[in-house]
Amino acid sequence: MKGLMKGLGVTFKNMTQKKVTYRYPDVPLEMPDRFRGIQYLDPDKCIVCNQCARICPTDCITLTGKPNPDPEKRVKLVDTFDINFEICILCDFCTEVCPTEAIVMTNNFELATYSRDELYKDKDWLFANNQNIRKENNSALPKGGAKKDA
Amino acid sequence: MTGWLPGPITWQSFTLYFLVSVAFLLVILGYVTYAIYFERKVIGWMQGRHGPNRVGPLGLLQTVADVAKLLIKEDTIPKKAQRDLFILAPVISFVPSFVVLATIPFTETLYFADLNVGILYYVALSSISTIGIILGGWASNNKYALLGGMRSAAQMISYEIPLVISVVGVIMLSGSLQLSAIVEGQSGGFWNWNFLPQIIGFIVFIVAAVSELNRTPFDLPEAESELVAGYHVEYSGFRFAFFMLAEYVYVFAIASLTTVLFLGGWHPPFPFLDFIPGILWFLLKFSFVVFFLFWLRATFPRVRVDQLMGLGWKVLLPLSLVNIFITAIVYEIFFR
Repeated sequence: MKGLMKGLGVTFKNMTQKKVTYRYPDVPLEMPDRFRGIQYLDPDKCIVCNQCARICPTDCITLTGKPNPDPEKRVKLVDTFDINFEICILCDFCTEVCPTEAIVMTNNFELATYSRDELYKDKDWLFANNQNIRKENNSALPKGGAKKDA
Repeated sequence: MTGWLPGPITWQSFTLYFLVSVAFLLVILGYVTYAIYFERKVIGWMQGRHGPNRVGPLGLLQTVADVAKLLIKEDTIPKKAQRDLFILAPVISFVPSFVVLATIPFTETLYFADLNVGILYYVALSSISTIGIILGGWASNNKYALLGGMRSAAQMISYEIPLVISVVGVIMLSGSLQLSAIVEGQSGGFWNWNFLPQIIGFIVFIVAAVSELNRTPFDLPEAESELVAGYHVEYSGFRFAFFMLAEYVYVFAIASLTTVLFLGGWHPPFPFLDFIPGILWFLLKFSFVVFFLFWLRATFPRVRVDQLMGLGWKVLLPLSLVNIFITAIVYEIFFR
């Protein structure tokens, strides 16, 4: 009997308590900086090393390169770079393995669409996804990234 | 409205009755709409949420949207169901819930039929709803619906008995089965209200009423987290809406009955507050009872099925019987 009264008291007090819900669809959620969201790609940094595609556990990354127009340089330029977000599990492997940090995580996560085709994101879309980029991208490296100008 | 009912039924008076009942039905529907809204809001607040707030200003149209959704849904009747009974069951369970409201006096002048056997009328008709529930379960031709209907009927019948017997104390105190006479007997301040001398009866009545309403913590027939719904598994669309409507109209009926029997009806808690009209006092007490039911739902976990019958037969029934004897003894010794 005492317990029942106590329970009623708890719920009654909770009525005036501050609400714990977020106003999410109206106000965007702020994710912490280590959040694994949709990748941002900087095509200028990409050296087409294919490491991201090789490490990807779900094989959702496909990329092709093209020869550098400057014949002096042997580094290739990225031609196409697609991530299939139908199967991407946002595991962060591609961004960890990337030697130039051309591909990094952002805090964005809203991927819902009406059509599955729209989940196939290309180079330009990923480049345009430049909001809320993760600030520190590889905790193993010293700050600023060691091999940035490869 | 007293003068109308005993007179002969002519086309004129019939039309009048009909219009008044339709108006009252609309009032009840409005009540149910906002009772559901209020329930969801209160439960939301108690759980640190806001409750519905997207449809209309402050979410006020949420229930309207939900009901509109139910009404435009496909009306499915299972192929192997007993078609006639399946259609009849929601009607049987709804009609008594609306009809019992006729005998409830809201104020001295605002009532429909001030029967001299008001309580008996209420109890007798409200138990017909159980038939609707068991019919719905049986006619669905579905094992879950049948089991849910059986459980529901067992629960409602077992708790009907302590519910009725706990009221006997009130009847003994006021010497009448007429609801308006019972309210008259409670005039002159809250110390005359029946819930004080009949505190045991009051508690038994509340517990039995919550169980009778199939509401948490006695919502085993529905038990959304454990069962596949219960007696209304096979119902959809507006037939399902009728079962839900019956449930909420019973909330209205039980809250009114509690107000009338134990909380002094339309009488103010202190005699000097008489200038405030009785209907406001009635509404205030009524809303408190409704709020209390929602509060219980937000607080308590569900009773286990093996504890359910034990509580009804071994605790509430003896308590209400003891209440009758105590009332009789105290009444004989001190008040005669």
